Amino acid sequence: MRFRSLLTSSTLLLRIVQSIDKLSKSAILKLTPEKLHIIVITDVDSGLQLWSDVSISAISTEYRIESAHNNEIYLEFSIDNLQRALKSAHGALQTTLKLTKKQHLPVLSLIIQNQSTTGREITLTQDVPVRVLTPLQMESIREPMVPDGQVHVMMPPLNSMRSVAERMKTMGDRVAVSANKNGELRIRVANDMVDITTHFKGLENLSYDTTQQEPLSAEREPAAFYTAVVDMKNFLRFLQSYHVVPKNIVCCIIENHALVFYVYIGSSGYGAGSGSGLLADNCGSLTYFVPVRQV
Amino acid sequence: MVVVPARVETRDAVSDDAETPIAFRAKLNNVRPLVNMLRAVGFRPRALCTISSSGLVFTVDEAQAMVAQAYLRTTLFSFFNYNSAAAAAALSAFQDGLDNDGQEEEEEEEEVTMQVSLPLDKLIECLTLFYGPGSGGTAPSTHGIAASTLQGPAYDLRGATTAEIGYRGPGTDFELLLEESGIISTCRLATFDPEPAVDLEFSRYPVVQQLIIKSEWLRDAFNELDPTSDAVSISISATEPYFRIATIGDNGSTEMTYARDERILDSYFCNEEMENRYKLQLILRCRSALAMSDKSKIRVNQRGFLCFQFMVPTDTDVSFVSFVFAPLVHANDI
Repeated sequence: MRFRSLLTSSTLLLRIVQSIDKLSKSAILKLTPEKLHIIVITDVDSGLQLWSDVSISAISTEYRIESAHNNEIYLEFSIDNLQRALKSAHGALQTTLKLTKKQHLPVLSLIIQNQSTTGREITLTQDVPVRVLTPLQMESIREPMVPDGQVHVMMPPLNSMRSVAERMKTMGDRVAVSANKNGELRIRVANDMVDITTHFKGLENLSYDTTQQEPLSAEREPAAFYTAVVDMKNFLRFLQSYHVVPKNIVCCIIENHALVFYVYIGSSGYGAGSGSGLLADNCGSLTYFVPVRQV
Repeated sequence: MVVVPARVETRDAVSDDAETPIAFRAKLNNVRPLVNMLRAVGFRPRALCTISSSGLVFTVDEAQAMVAQAYLRTTLFSFFNYNSAAAAAALSAFQDGLDNDGQEEEEEEEEVTMQVSLPLDKLIECLTLFYGPGSGGTAPSTHGIAASTLQGPAYDLRGATTAEIGYRGPGTDFELLLEESGIISTCRLATFDPEPAVDLEFSRYPVVQQLIIKSEWLRDAFNELDPTSDAVSISISATEPYFRIATIGDNGSTEMTYARDERILDSYFCNEEMENRYKLQLILRCRSALAMSDKSKIRVNQRGFLCFQFMVPTDTDVSFVSFVFAPLVHANDI
């Protein structure tokens, strides 16, 4: 098993790890010949899941990976540790990622080369302890299969939605998130004392061309809403997860199934483009799956 | 009210029905003054709301020994409409539904006021929906409406939340439509049949003591009170000390006295010497209102009942919050 990569910039990885910081204590780094994925599964059945991917070509020049299992390697790591290591690598001349062993234990080493004020080169090594997943464990990590969503809409500024949702959370533990094709999104929480719906308008809808579109007869009129009822806790977890640029996030509603949020990351590590330009400057993406609450 | 995904909302805004005009509708350009007034009496989850053409009164009582009222006159609102006829119709329709005896109400010449019991804590939470991160809506706030009296952390209110309020009558929800920066929130609050309000009958007996004091002096006195004490004694006298507030607690005793100085005490009279004791925990309920006010009027009636009336300045007007307290009866008074 071998893995070594010379990073052109560690910033993109740092941004992703910062985004997931509040979701969980640990995460999985899935390394393949084409892509690098960071995965967080809070609860396989009912919890929020985060699947992110970064294309290798966007972040590294030399990349070598070998393993007995399709040349894929899965590493479990503590988010805190990796975040600290990546922060040290920020702005470095060169950073190399390498899977190795220290004192008989597997670690992901970050070999960071910097230049001191006097011009001398300094090499700093940060080791992140990791657990290498066995083939059986690797098999069990699978991206949730979801049907196509009925509506896609750009999220309003997350700050405003987050602060309103935080205030609404005292009213109930489940929230109904709805959107339509007229650029409207709303969230609703209710209990036996109070029923609140907050409406966001003037949002941009996106249409994804899929071959499995609903037959026209079943399609609703543009103003009709599609709804997914999810745990408020999971919804807030998504809203509270740190986003570098809290805009250009797509919300996809798959009625009775899930809410899926897509965050696209451009080459600078910040939000990529806007609207239809989203996919063009796409170096990586974060996909949040929020399952519909099981009654 | 269970969340039902497929329900289609046909009416988002508070609006008149063509056939049945809404009994009460009001608008605010900024919810802040309303929130502050409600927080001043917001120490119980439920409040009685009385609606008339003079405005709204929110009444909260505790332990059968204290009644607090926040008076919201129509001038506090940018729009205020109370349709007495619609209210009367709604009330009698509700009564007919209950009694089912076909009795006809005589046509009332006087205005019918509406009373409804509301979840006050939820109302405040809804109104403060756009307040941003911070403490919950129900904690009594020490914020003054006039900026100069602000104490504690200032909440950063970017822009103002506007509100529209409506109520159709018994058996319907209390409706709110809030807006800030293009985001709209519609809220429906459950309403309950009003329970008969506790009436401590303050006005029934002659007032024997009165003074008006600058609120900042009274705030100082309240800050000195020993919270471990069960009771606070308040005495007003025609001789020195003219006004005295004292506690006896685990840590000893505290005493604040005031001279009869026009700069501090105003409009003073004392027809009867009296010292009365009140439950400290209840007296402290008025701290919020006290913090917002610039002047406080203190009156004691013949039976030893105490009434605080706080004058709260707002942009347009002055609003009032009043508290009436029943005295503690000494064991050896009987």
